[in-house]
Amino acid sequence: MEHNPLYMAALLITPEDQIQRLNLLMNKIDQLRQLDTSRLTIPPNPKAWSVLEIIEHLNIAYMFYVEKVDAALAKSIDHTSGNKVFKARAWQKIIIAAQRPKDRKRKWKMKTLRKFEPIFSHNMTQEQINDVFEKFNHLHGHLKQSILLSRQKEVSKTKISSAIGPIVTFYLPECFEFLLSHAERHIIQIEETLDLIP
Amino acid sequence: MRSMDDTTYQKLKLFFPQVHFGSEEESKFRSLWVLKSFERSELITEAGNTERYFYFVLEGVQALYILNGKGEKVVLGFSYSGSPSGVFDSFIFKTPSFTFLEALKPSKMLAINLESYQSLFELYPDFQTWGHHFFRDILIGRLYREVELLTLSAEERYIQFMQRCPKELKIIPQKYLASYLNMKPETFSRLRKSTLY
Repeated sequence: MEHNPLYMAALLITPEDQIQRLNLLMNKIDQLRQLDTSRLTIPPNPKAWSVLEIIEHLNIAYMFYVEKVDAALAKSIDHTSGNKVFKARAWQKIIIAAQRPKDRKRKWKMKTLRKFEPIFSHNMTQEQINDVFEKFNHLHGHLKQSILLSRQKEVSKTKISSAIGPIVTFYLPECFEFLLSHAERHIIQIEETLDLIP
Repeated sequence: MRSMDDTTYQKLKLFFPQVHFGSEEESKFRSLWVLKSFERSELITEAGNTERYFYFVLEGVQALYILNGKGEKVVLGFSYSGSPSGVFDSFIFKTPSFTFLEALKPSKMLAINLESYQSLFELYPDFQTWGHHFFRDILIGRLYREVELLTLSAEERYIQFMQRCPKELKIIPQKYLASYLNMKPETFSRLRKSTLY
């Protein structure tokens, strides 16, 4: 395998690692609520997203998975043999690695598909802003509960199709890892955006 | 979340031998604790969340562990019947925890929140005495553990640990004990078969 240009070290996934990262991520988003409205709603340039639009993009992306994750968990049988480390499959590992930031940098900038685009007016009310944060907490609370639930499930039997279609399928740990890496990527984008808006 | 019966309260009192109450104070003290139950492998505290309680363990075994750079669990300690539990630094400083606390067996624990915990020291001088003994013992215990980890061989660490650890700790999954003793599960398994203590 070593001569293969796509060779990378195995991506080993544990639910505890995912829970820790998700908690840190949710804490970071929660801290953004302290910021002035203008820092949340003004994009750094006309083509870029505002901080709130990035959060809404994460909400939209996760919404595609809520039912799929629920269905996969319902279908998975319980296991009692203790937690296992899950090894991501080769193709899924590449897709996850493309999302995952490295050294606090976003690798391979990519264009968002239209169905994931957030669309906001620039004059948002405080209530609308709160709604975006509430939605984020609700959806990512669902992700947290799903990861916790997956600790008691046999996760290497049920596959789900990704939001970009059946060309990519995920087992639950891969799906959670993809969503987390995607969110971590956008946390970096939020930090970069805030650096540009004093 | 339930209040405790008399037998449970007697167990809690044994944990605070230096503390003596009048009857009114005692019922106030008792009311500060809530009973919590956890299933096997339930995460009592998650890394990244803030610890809300100081616990006293009534039943079960819990492991305190941190994830290393590879995401593997590294066990820092255990709690069990009659011992304290919780992620103390996160509890006191109200900051996100670096460690997980997981129930390795079904667990029953009494929990007190930070405000109530701190009020004990302010209201009752006996708790200052209790705190002095409690933290002294914890510090010395951690020092001994550090010395053992740095100076003893794997076999010596295994023997020392097995001689002093309570029975209920010996029946948890071996990988947790191996990690606590800083050895591979295979080494632990080999020592278990070949070493008398």
